[in-house]
Amino acid sequence: MAIDGLIILDSAGRPIIQSGFHSVPPAYPILHIDALNNALSAASRPDDVDPVLSVPSLTIDAPSACCHAKVADMRLLCPISGDVDPLYAFAFMQTFVDILRDYFGQLSAETLKENFDVVYQLLEETLDSGGHPLTTSPNALRDIVLPPSLLNKVLSVAGVSGLATPLSNSQPFASPIPWRKAGVRYNNNEIYFDVAETLEAIINKNGTPAASNVWGRIESNCKLSGTPDLLLTFSNFQSLTDCSFHPCIRLQRWARDKTLSFVPPDGHFKLMEYRYAPASASTMHQVAVPFSLRSSIQLQEHGGSFDVTLSSRLTTRAMDSVTIELFLGEGASGASCISSHNASWSFDLRTLTLKWELKNVQPSGNYTLRGTFTSTTQIPRPSRAFRVRFDIMQHTFSALKIDQLKLAGEMYKPYKGMRGRSAGDIEWRW
Amino acid sequence: MDFNAISENASRLGARLQETFSEHTRDLNLARASSSAYLDNPEEKVKNIKKQLDSNSDREKLEAMKRLIALISKGRNVSEFFAHVVKNVASHNLEVRKLVYIYLLRYAEQEPDLALLSINTFQKDLSDPSPLIRAMALRVLSGIRVPMIGSIVVLAIKKCAADISPYVRKAAALAIPKCYSLDPSHQPELITIISTLLRDRSPLSAGSVAVAFSEVCPTRLDLLHPHYRRLCRTLIDVDEWGQVDLLNLLTRYARTMLPRHTVSADSGAEEIDSDLKLVLTSAEPLFQSQNPSVVLAVARVFYYLGPPSEVSKVVCPLLRLLPTAPEVERVVLAHLGTVLIGIQQALSPFYNRLLVRADDVRQVKKDKVRLLCAVISTDNYQPLLREFITYADDTDDELVADAIRAIGYCARLIPDSTQQCLTALMSFIQSKYDVVVAHAVLVLKSLVQIRLQSPVSASISASTSTSPLSIIARLAWRIDEIHHPKARACVLWLVGQYAAVETQENGASLHAGIEGVADWAPDVLRKSVKSFAAEAPIVKLQILTLAAKLLVLCPTDRTLELLSRYAFALARYDLDFDVRDRARMLSSLLSGVNAAVVHDGESYEDPGGVTLRREQVRMILFEGKLGVSEPSDFGMSGSAVISRIVGLT
Repeated sequence: MAIDGLIILDSAGRPIIQSGFHSVPPAYPILHIDALNNALSAASRPDDVDPVLSVPSLTIDAPSACCHAKVADMRLLCPISGDVDPLYAFAFMQTFVDILRDYFGQLSAETLKENFDVVYQLLEETLDSGGHPLTTSPNALRDIVLPPSLLNKVLSVAGVSGLATPLSNSQPFASPIPWRKAGVRYNNNEIYFDVAETLEAIINKNGTPAASNVWGRIESNCKLSGTPDLLLTFSNFQSLTDCSFHPCIRLQRWARDKTLSFVPPDGHFKLMEYRYAPASASTMHQVAVPFSLRSSIQLQEHGGSFDVTLSSRLTTRAMDSVTIELFLGEGASGASCISSHNASWSFDLRTLTLKWELKNVQPSGNYTLRGTFTSTTQIPRPSRAFRVRFDIMQHTFSALKIDQLKLAGEMYKPYKGMRGRSAGDIEWRW
Repeated sequence: MDFNAISENASRLGARLQETFSEHTRDLNLARASSSAYLDNPEEKVKNIKKQLDSNSDREKLEAMKRLIALISKGRNVSEFFAHVVKNVASHNLEVRKLVYIYLLRYAEQEPDLALLSINTFQKDLSDPSPLIRAMALRVLSGIRVPMIGSIVVLAIKKCAADISPYVRKAAALAIPKCYSLDPSHQPELITIISTLLRDRSPLSAGSVAVAFSEVCPTRLDLLHPHYRRLCRTLIDVDEWGQVDLLNLLTRYARTMLPRHTVSADSGAEEIDSDLKLVLTSAEPLFQSQNPSVVLAVARVFYYLGPPSEVSKVVCPLLRLLPTAPEVERVVLAHLGTVLIGIQQALSPFYNRLLVRADDVRQVKKDKVRLLCAVISTDNYQPLLREFITYADDTDDELVADAIRAIGYCARLIPDSTQQCLTALMSFIQSKYDVVVAHAVLVLKSLVQIRLQSPVSASISASTSTSPLSIIARLAWRIDEIHHPKARACVLWLVGQYAAVETQENGASLHAGIEGVADWAPDVLRKSVKSFAAEAPIVKLQILTLAAKLLVLCPTDRTLELLSRYAFALARYDLDFDVRDRARMLSSLLSGVNAAVVHDGESYEDPGGVTLRREQVRMILFEGKLGVSEPSDFGMSGSAVISRIVGLT
């Protein structure tokens, strides 16, 4: 399995960063960039482009494809050819994006341009010229490629850049554990767990759920000295299914007694992912959607009118940044609405989507949006469903709790912190 | 030591520092854009690069190297600087050296002769105390594509294969395929190195060794005999990318070297070789990997090697991947589609994870409908049918078509659902969207045909409102509302084909229609002949066929004769070649039935040849139809190669 290379395009479709393409004709990467740009400009909606584009190959026997994904305002693009699984390319892209996030925080074409030398070093270390991923663990990479920091910049301006490297106390590839740096020291030893859960549901016209699943993710930020060996137990692990784990987790231990035993990497990492399936699953859909949506949409020639009401079913909590989106169909040309509570609405001419944003939805609150839209097609055909997204802070659907965190191998007592956050992505059919 | 001297020195140093700082005020714009300034390179700066590379200051060199990398990222060919860059490969500054290596890795292939000049430096770097430099030196060395140095590279690989750092051993393994592709004559030595590396206890290099093995000696699976079990056991400690490569290699080994599982015919008990079992049990925990490509690699192991009872284990892990990212969802769904045959049973409880969302990518929608069709059973057809009916409102025409076809498929697969399906399809006929009407008509046509062909069901449902003939009647009445050419043609064909009625049952006393013809048929002909000129060619052809069929059924009727004559007259002067041709053929067929149609009231001389009798013409027009032509199975053929591009695009 090997990919052919990696290209990063800016929002205008021009390459910013490009890995070396060896043993292929120089036209090969350009062919793929063109294929993607053409597909994007031909698509009526930008999201409608197939993530795996077939690209006419230069040789007959090896079909090639262009795997691409949107990241912030950029597009990552991975040409593959021959008998290669596109999933391999997407997995590598995801890993590379995670590494870039780890290095630069918020990503944008501008950040990458500012730090292009670091990006090139990262690319060279993570991808062999044969297309095989090399070092992708952020901990090992930080020893090889220095993250950009103000100190480094000051030193390099003062003309003493060479000094920066020996300052770090660990040699590259010195750690016996591939995912953990050697010789980490902290004054305060702390580890934080962020539990983020997303409710993905589809609600039928009559308000009953057609599907509803809660996907959870535990992100961790570890600031522990030395080589700590942790043992983490949850109070309600029975309801976690379809789990996946960071490579540091000892899988046999989880299989045996459902405890997480691991030597954590240093810094941020994704500890595990799971699906929340309530243990007492007498009915198939346990988690209720925390709001209800009533809508009436009348279609006329060249337009239509709508009246949407969102009411919160929560009694104590507020929902944050609720967005309700409706694709108004090909040819939609404009909309005008009146919204209660001074909430904002907008109509995007590029995506033809009406968007209604509520910054804060109070418990048991009712919010309405009334309006009309116009369309150039005679019989407008808006999407059959609203897409509703929301956040609820300090709350998880599963009420997952850490029972206890034991530490072996080091002498100190760590501080542990945990917080929850949940989000929803609901399709509400009307 | 007098204080003055020190203070003087200090102030001088201060002044000096200030000088340096002010000299580079542009760079001091620290907060932003210090590096991106390199990206807009004015030409004179480019000219300056050579001088900077030759200077003594590390700072100058570093700046020059950054400019070069910036030029590379702008897509400019900067191989002209190769000679100057290569001089700096022995720089003491690690940062400069890394950038030099990045440059070299990119251009060593294009400038092999110049790279040869510095080959000593690379060889010296192979003994550098830093494993990073050792690995990089080997990577550059193996990247120089000059067959002449092949043996030097082999020696370097050999040296690195015995390195104490597993990272360097990994680099050695990855260098092997490059060396081999450069000069295949080194194969024997490289195979020796590979078998050394196979003995490596560290899991770090295992994946890269698998890569080297598959490229240099894919058929020498016998080399793996002593290592197979150990490799299986270390699988879990290998890095994620290595796991993918190693799993592929182990799968190939197991398929070639190990006996397949057997299922005894009478008891159904499965027997499985212990070594085969080993690879399955060692791979199974990796289903829990966060890397989707590892999960797929494990799924591949189970699909190819697992006994029937274990193949279904792939379902849950693959479904888990769906919500992770839209791109992953797209690929995994396609893979689920390929392995469908063995896992239908296991997939069906999870059908609600496959429901189509309005904002899915088009290909995802297609694949989901296909999978949903595959899991339809008597237990779950109700909710699935409701889903398909919902999808018919989608904004994507292709999904609408797929969903309506799925309803037809459901009707055929599960007899109980037929009534519901037909009701849904009939309601689609009244939709204001053309595409919905068109596809509903097409599906109805094949359903009607199937039911009329199987005598049992036809007789059962003859009385209800959704009996085949009453469906045709309702379609016939709605002909004005059906605009899609294909659907119109389809309705016309249906009307013509099934217009015959038994005369003895509903005689003239029942209604004032034309004898032998269903009462709704002539009006369809009247309406369509009226709009003949504006129809699409495919519809015109069917209008002619309809006219011919009705005339054969009742040759004596005056109205039918006039309508047909009009149609044939129009067709004779049509612009479309096919329409004229069809008209000529049908009219000469009909010459024995009703001569007036052929000759359009004028007298022509007899062209000669055989004139067919009415019964014969009827036979030709109505009988011997092919069965239903409908892509019925949603591509459920057994093409079962998992994870290929071809299957996806």
